Amino acid sequence: MDPRKVIVCRCENVSLANIEEAIDKGYTDLESLKRYLRIGMGPCQGRYCLVLTAKILARKTGKKFEELFMPMNRPPLTPIEFKFFMNKSFTKR
Amino acid sequence: MTLKTKLLIIGAGIIGVMTAKFLVDKGFNDIVIVEKKYPGSGGTYRCATGIRASFTSLEHVELMKRSINLWPILSKQHNIPYKRGGYIWLLSRPEHVELFKKIVDFHHKHDIPTKIISPEEIREIVPTIRTDNLLAGVYDPLAGKASCFLSLLNILEYIKKKGVKVIINTPVYKLVTRNHKVVGAMTSKGVIEAEKILVAAGHGSKKILDTIGLDLPLENIPKHALITEAYKPLFDPLLIDWQTSSYIVQVLHGGFLIGANIEEKPNTPPTNRIDYLFLAANIWTKYFPWLPYVRVLRYWTGYYVMTPDHHPVIGPVEEYENLYVATGFSGHGFMMSPAVGEAMANYILGQKQNIPYIENLSPERFTKGKLVKEIAVFG
Ligand SMILES: Cc1cc2nc3c(=O)[nH]c(=O)nc-3n(C[C@H](O)[C@H](O)[C@H](O)COP(=O)(O)OP(=O)(O)OC[C@H]3O[C@@H](n4cnc5c(N)ncnc54)[C@H](O)[C@@H]3O)c2cc1C
Repeated sequence: MDPRKVIVCRCENVSLANIEEAIDKGYTDLESLKRYLRIGMGPCQGRYCLVLTAKILARKTGKKFEELFMPMNRPPLTPIEFKFFMNKSFTKR
Repeated sequence: MTLKTKLLIIGAGIIGVMTAKFLVDKGFNDIVIVEKKYPGSGGTYRCATGIRASFTSLEHVELMKRSINLWPILSKQHNIPYKRGGYIWLLSRPEHVELFKKIVDFHHKHDIPTKIISPEEIREIVPTIRTDNLLAGVYDPLAGKASCFLSLLNILEYIKKKGVKVIINTPVYKLVTRNHKVVGAMTSKGVIEAEKILVAAGHGSKKILDTIGLDLPLENIPKHALITEAYKPLFDPLLIDWQTSSYIVQVLHGGFLIGANIEEKPNTPPTNRIDYLFLAANIWTKYFPWLPYVRVLRYWTGYYVMTPDHHPVIGPVEEYENLYVATGFSGHGFMMSPAVGEAMANYILGQKQNIPYIENLSPERFTKGKLVKEIAVFG
């Protein structure tokens, strides 16, 4: 299949071809690749795309998957509307 | 690993990378950059990307005027998304308006075209904002924003192509000295020998300098920020609510980024606090009636590396002739990075500085009691 038509990151519309080109340019660590293409920075926060990207990276660089895949999950994990935090203040008990 | 280099830069944040860029442009490329984790992993990737010259000290103003001239040039050279969308300070108290009148006078003396604007004018620049609580705003049209990811990555790609060696996942443990000269750095992978060393390690700088008894008064203060889903451009300026020391900016990719001030102890781990989300929501949903329905994507914390006078520590270290520092940006290192990178390159090559007052920011000012004054620090 044409790598330009294989979408790896749906939130930011990044294709397999985009990823392979970036790796060829020298973006061979997942953190830099993520910032360069914005993979995993959309609403899914990497749930669908980061594992796939790490696999592509492993295949192309020959590095181990475990070596490459060190994701950082940030709260609130799923997108949540501001209205849930309004007009109340949070106090520790 | 034994490596020898003319210049070792510790820290692949925006400051280290920019310095290397200006050196490479002048034909100096025998440079190694050593980075604890990955490039940008410190303050740089956590920043709000804001850029302004409207400060209240001559040092900051001159440094930032130079930076604001350099940003569009760098943006063209390295394909960095950058926009002069301005800043607006939102003022809700009479005493703040009085204070800002004085600040605006100071700016005009130094060719910064800020101006006091009315709530109606604020609404013209920022459609959909509620201004019921506001008395006035201060508009800085020269201010702007840039992509922190692409500023770093595109310049990094450029300097690597020009021969700069970048070693990642390699912390520096200590500096190595001989006869009052720094001769290298001990890393997790062995010693890197260097003729000159620049410490640009952000929040890690103090620890590194401590290893040779150089005690700079740097404090790492945790700061909080969040970003929402991306939208089409709605307003250009970065908005600062002066009363609460909180800001909102629609970054160039489209997300709304909010930073708000909550009390934190220096040098504590930058942990997430749920009260921050309540604080940010309560401040900004009052201004924007649509904001309650916008979704928060991510929340993170990072450090401001603070100095006692909230000005950076830039320059050569007197006690060690071949050691340089560039840190302590007190929350403004991203915007200054072009001017600081250029100035550090000049220092390292022994060339003349073209920014007035830059020597006032030397590391020795703390021991000599020559602190610089600045009041417009927020967030
Ligand atoms: C929430 C937030 C919002 C901000 N908003 C803005 C803004 O709008 N505008 C602005 O101008 N600035 C802003 N800043 C400040 C800005 O991010 C920093 O001043 C700037 O990124 C500093 O760059 P740096 O290169 O000095 O440090 P860093 O980016 O921290 O880089 C230093 C590097 O050194 C590495 N390092 C540390 N210790 C060691 C070691 N022992 N060995 C090897 N490497 C080491 C780190 O891993 C890091 O990558 C903000 C900061 C935060 C936290």
